[in-house]
Amino acid sequence: MNKTAAAESEKKLLQVRRGSWVEQFPYLYVLPATLMFVGLVAYPILWVICESFRGANGKDFAGLDQYVRALSDPVFWRVLRNMFYWGTITIPLQMILGGSIAYLIERHTSKSRTFFRVMFFLPVVTSVSVVSIVWAQMYAPYYGIVQQYLRYIGVQLTIAPLGDPNTAIFALILVNIWQWTGFSMIMYIAGINNIPSELFDAALIDGAHGWNLVLRIVVPLLSPVTRSLLLLGVIGTLQTFPIVHLMTGGGPDHASEIFGTYIFKQGFVIGDFGYSSALSVLVLFLALGLSLLQITVLGSRLGPQTRRSASVLSPN
Amino acid sequence: MKKRITLAFLLTTQLFLSGGNAEAQPKNQITVWSWFIASTMAKSIKAFQEKNPGLEVKYTYYNYSPEYITALKAAAASNSLPDIIGLQPGSLTQQYREQLAALNSHADREWGADWQSKIFPVNLKQMAMGNPPGDASFYILPQESQILVIWYNKEIFKKLNLQVPKTYKDLVIACNKLTGGGFIPLYQGAADGWQNENVFLMLANQLASGVVDEAQNGKSPWTSPPLVKAMQAWANLFKDGVFQQGALGAHAYPTGAQLFAQGRVGMMALGSWWMQESKFPPPLSPFVQNMNGYDFFYFPALEEGGKSSPPVGGIDIGYGMTKNGEKNPDAWKFLASLVRGEGLQQALNDLNDLPATSDFEPQGDVTPNIKEMYRRFMADLPHAENQRFLSPQISEELDSVLGGVAAGSVTPEDGLKRVQAVTDKALSKK
Repeated sequence: MNKTAAAESEKKLLQVRRGSWVEQFPYLYVLPATLMFVGLVAYPILWVICESFRGANGKDFAGLDQYVRALSDPVFWRVLRNMFYWGTITIPLQMILGGSIAYLIERHTSKSRTFFRVMFFLPVVTSVSVVSIVWAQMYAPYYGIVQQYLRYIGVQLTIAPLGDPNTAIFALILVNIWQWTGFSMIMYIAGINNIPSELFDAALIDGAHGWNLVLRIVVPLLSPVTRSLLLLGVIGTLQTFPIVHLMTGGGPDHASEIFGTYIFKQGFVIGDFGYSSALSVLVLFLALGLSLLQITVLGSRLGPQTRRSASVLSPN
Repeated sequence: MKKRITLAFLLTTQLFLSGGNAEAQPKNQITVWSWFIASTMAKSIKAFQEKNPGLEVKYTYYNYSPEYITALKAAAASNSLPDIIGLQPGSLTQQYREQLAALNSHADREWGADWQSKIFPVNLKQMAMGNPPGDASFYILPQESQILVIWYNKEIFKKLNLQVPKTYKDLVIACNKLTGGGFIPLYQGAADGWQNENVFLMLANQLASGVVDEAQNGKSPWTSPPLVKAMQAWANLFKDGVFQQGALGAHAYPTGAQLFAQGRVGMMALGSWWMQESKFPPPLSPFVQNMNGYDFFYFPALEEGGKSSPPVGGIDIGYGMTKNGEKNPDAWKFLASLVRGEGLQQALNDLNDLPATSDFEPQGDVTPNIKEMYRRFMADLPHAENQRFLSPQISEELDSVLGGVAAGSVTPEDGLKRVQAVTDKALSKK
């Protein structure tokens, strides 16, 4: 195609575009996304907020009664305590373990790298139902899988971690860490691979080895990944549901109750949608507050290095 | 070109909508949701469709929790419930009462005015459970009944020279021997609220028949002596080694049922539905085949010279017709089939559970051993005590308290006070 023909073709295309109704109403470009946001995000949130002002029968206006009820409900405070344990134990441990595994795999393996990546990532893609059944059997003190092996050396387990109110939540936290450490690992692997190899070479020439290399080079350069994991970890903690629902149902006697299971029971089992909506709104504000706090404290603007790292982490 | 594209689009749409077969006659569709086992429901649907060739039943199976109850809630909120839904009496039915059609007049027309006389008394009671005062309508019709019992493995008992326990003392001795013999004594999936409720109901009704019913209806307090004693007896089951160690973290299904079927468990508190294991696809363990390895007894007397627990049970599963379903003239036909027709017969033939009425029994390939068990269950059903709760708040609180008492974090008295407080609240809302 010669230049004149190309110019004419472009001119025609422009004319068509200018004449189109989308060009005349440019906001139509954002209409699909806006409709999806309103329908799938904004409307449900508004609906839940409205429901939270209703009484237990779901009809009468109850003002802030459901919120007052939540604050005087001892189970609510137990849930909050459990969520605190969950977040403060799970998030840092998953990051430390995931980061360590990622570093060892990326820096100290070559041929077996893919094998280890897959093995450690496997629990992330395993069905929660399977994970819960296997771990419940592992924890069982009398007939469990672990017990079968311990029997060979004459050890009889006498504690039932899931059945003891003092240990149930920690037993669940352990399962969660086991399942999700692979996710932290894969994020850190992406981050490590994004660190320019020249930096490692320079650090080695300058005499940085072992812990020195890790603490002064790798950890600071992985801070954007750490921030992302922290944010995802907090949101993930507040969204936790299936593992607890399947393994303990929040019991015994609410000892391992978390927001997900408690809201589910109040809304879907008991049918008190007003109270479950109020609890959901409280979780929403908690998540919002914690996210804002993190963005404020840890910085919301990504630096050039961060941007590069983020682009690596982005699925597209 | 534009015209051709439009024509092609219309033709494709037409083909898609007609299923690619211009001769196919549209069938009237009946939509059904439930947690009822899909393979058995498929047999019921097949039998129904053979009898009603112009009708099509679209069944959607859900796991009971959380899938089914979540789906129901969402569909009720958006007024998109199917024609027929699986229900349990009491709390689940009451949650959807406003979306359900009263079934009395449909039943009268279908089966005559005396149809209620064929339904076992405990089922009849449960059908109206939780209705507001003055509302005599039935929003659920029962398909199957159940009775709660202690099943035991006859082969293990024989091997260890054990007798069916007559008293609690005998039970503890049997459990010690089972544990010593390397077996799980009485497997309890105490992480499941329903299994704890079932055992507690056995204990409470042994000490005073109908005491739980009275308490949940506000006619006697939850802190009455028989219930405190029952709660103490419940705690003792854990302390005395009747239940396996770690029972509070264990589930009845699938773990417990698998271990019981494999012959690693001496006893398990289940119900008449355990017989269906013998109809599952092979390979089956020799214990499960024709139920050759099992028999059942009622919970032994807690006190010397006392009586064992009475039969406790009621509706296993029932169905309701939604107000959407009432607009579909064919929905009732399938509901009637499931409750007292070829649909029910298929479920019984699969030994899914006991019928809700006295005039049905399983047919086909049923061994004399199972027939005899069936006969015993059916003989006990007319005297069964109520198993169901009228309010989900009460059953949820009782579940929590049973867990707390078993773990030793709540005393029986304090736990029952909590249940009383929730009952007062639930009854005041009615």
